Amino acid sequence: MLGRGLKRKLSDYEENMAGLSSAFDSSRSLPYPLKRQLVLNMCLTKLQTYKMLVEPNLHRSVLIANTVRQIQEEMRQESNQQPVNICPGIAPSSHSYTGMESSGMSLQLPSGISQQESNCCDLRSVEDPIENSLLIVSDDDMSSAISSILKDLDFVEDISPPTCLVPTGDDQPKFPENTGLKLEDDRPDLKGAECVFGSFEISNSTSYLKDLAIDDIFEDIDTSMYDSDFCCPPLMPPRSPSLATEEPLKTFPSCNSSSANNIQICRTDLSELDHIMEILVGS
Amino acid sequence: AGAGGGNDIQWCFSQVKGAVDDDVAEADIISTVEFNHSGELLATGDKGGRVVIFQQEQENKTQSHSRGEYNVYSTFQSHEPEFDYLKSLEIEEKINKIRWLPQKNAAQFLLSTNDKTIKLWKISERDKRPEGYNLKEEDGRYRDPTTVTTLRVPVFRPMDLMVEASPRRIFANAHTYHINSISINSDYETYLSADDLRINLWHLEITDRSFNIVDIKPANMEELTEVITAAEFHPNSCSTFVYSSSKGTIRLCDMRASALCDRHSKLFEEPEDPSNRSFFSEIISSISDVKFSHSGRYMMTRDYLSVKIWDLNMENRPVETYQVHEYLRSKLCSLYENDCIFDKFECCWNGLDIVMTGSYNNFFRMFDRNSKRDVTLEASRENNKPRTVLKPRKVCASGKRKKDEISVDSLDFNKKILHTAWHPKENIIAVATTNNLYIFQDKMN
Repeated sequence: MLGRGLKRKLSDYEENMAGLSSAFDSSRSLPYPLKRQLVLNMCLTKLQTYKMLVEPNLHRSVLIANTVRQIQEEMRQESNQQPVNICPGIAPSSHSYTGMESSGMSLQLPSGISQQESNCCDLRSVEDPIENSLLIVSDDDMSSAISSILKDLDFVEDISPPTCLVPTGDDQPKFPENTGLKLEDDRPDLKGAECVFGSFEISNSTSYLKDLAIDDIFEDIDTSMYDSDFCCPPLMPPRSPSLATEEPLKTFPSCNSSSANNIQICRTDLSELDHIMEILVGS
Repeated sequence: AGAGGGNDIQWCFSQVKGAVDDDVAEADIISTVEFNHSGELLATGDKGGRVVIFQQEQENKTQSHSRGEYNVYSTFQSHEPEFDYLKSLEIEEKINKIRWLPQKNAAQFLLSTNDKTIKLWKISERDKRPEGYNLKEEDGRYRDPTTVTTLRVPVFRPMDLMVEASPRRIFANAHTYHINSISINSDYETYLSADDLRINLWHLEITDRSFNIVDIKPANMEELTEVITAAEFHPNSCSTFVYSSSKGTIRLCDMRASALCDRHSKLFEEPEDPSNRSFFSEIISSISDVKFSHSGRYMMTRDYLSVKIWDLNMENRPVETYQVHEYLRSKLCSLYENDCIFDKFECCWNGLDIVMTGSYNNFFRMFDRNSKRDVTLEASRENNKPRTVLKPRKVCASGKRKKDEISVDSLDFNKKILHTAWHPKENIIAVATTNNLYIFQDKMN
């Protein structure tokens, strides 16, 4: 049900985008920041679509990620010159880019959405969560989107590990107790569509996270199968200092969102994993 | 080779292979085209994992005005779809590349690859069969032993030609990422296979291991900014190969320098033209194909809008650049939106002085390096009378459209010619549209 609704809105969005991209091509009068925002939105939409695929195309993902980085860098440099705003939304009048009129409001907060809506291009539907989430993309959001999709493309069972020996980066779990979660993360295919933008909206809304107790997020997960001796370490991370908890949450976006769908997916993952373990162990 | 000189070749329609109806079956989409070393055989691979080989008829002495036609010689299923259970991924059976080995005996050998597995196929003919067995009837049933009273030696008798394809080697499990190129070394014993991040060196006889010679995977995938897009061995120097990247660079490596050729011997890169800079500059600079000239002195690369010829002795810029469809530069945003900007066009040459590549609307382009003239031709069933000379086409970029010109907005971006091949010795070209294969020849006398 949710999937169907999502698709319908995406196709409307795509039609609008087709109109916008031909406007980009044909019109010389479109202001540069608007063009840039348009390209950025297209890139992020594509990355989101690729996230939904079982196996995103690495070549395309890298090219799009580089384009996003390039735009990001440009915007960063511009914002260094103007103290207020990193990422302007699309608005009919160009003057709204230079310095957000919303008095130093951080774009990450959800309340930014309503401000953006009033500046929206009339092609955008106000209720569309995808379009709104695109409008409030910030620097860190873009980086985490790129990181997240590139990480997913790194297969756990990479048969020829990189020949250069580098001190362990993100590939190694920082906390041994999290190896159970680590398996979760390295299966790129079973995450839901909300992953890219899930990490957008939540990983930066740190206040939202701090409000939730860790236990609340994981309380729906059935960890009984992990209680036996030889099985994987327990799924739930032990209580750690708040700084450290953000780290596992950032890298496992499918567990961040407290939507029932995601927990459902986690549960299915775990039972399939258990089944595979049984086959491998030969029990 | 070929027509030589500055005379323009007049291309004529010769044949078209494939289904006529507009409704294209996905499995029939042609994904690679390659002539063998003599040009007698022409192989195509498709999305359904099949290989079809056409053979040129021996030239008919009475029909001196046309070269032999190509007819189906062998069809076989090279790759099947597979499912990787560990990663829950389907492995496509689409044939990405076919490369022929030079002929050493009566049989023909070719390498075909999908995203993950390379296979060596032997294609052999059988036109005789043994007859006259002592113990068996002709249909294979065993004779009653009591009726056998004489000893016969079986003799070979002619039979209808049968062409058999059998897989002789399977080179599997060496690539995590999708294979985009294979290239046979000039020693005819080894070959390379390249995926997005790695290149492996194989021996044709050994299937259970390969050497990794290039690895550009960063320790942290988040730092990945460049992938390998194509690779080819030098035609004469068996320790030299090149690989191209998504950032528009070509690296030449020498395998004698070190076991892992992560450090290039030469880096070919053209500085960006600042006046053409756009959001899509990097995407359109991604090289989709690289091919050496026969001599090995030059190489050709194809990016989204142009074909460039490089002199191996000069790294800082190409010696020639040809615009394939410059009128698309002002449409890049739309082409990005519909993903056409990621189309991977291949290029080929007659080996010396004429290069060919495909475009949209079933157009393909030829550039003569000597005369600097270029022509746009169309692969279409409308000109399907043999020996009809193809009429040059023209795209009207802007302004008033002349008669017979096509405006950019009328181009059909679903009709793309990605794969073309040139006969190694004669002026015969094979051009693949989505699901049809066209063969054109130059007009003789």
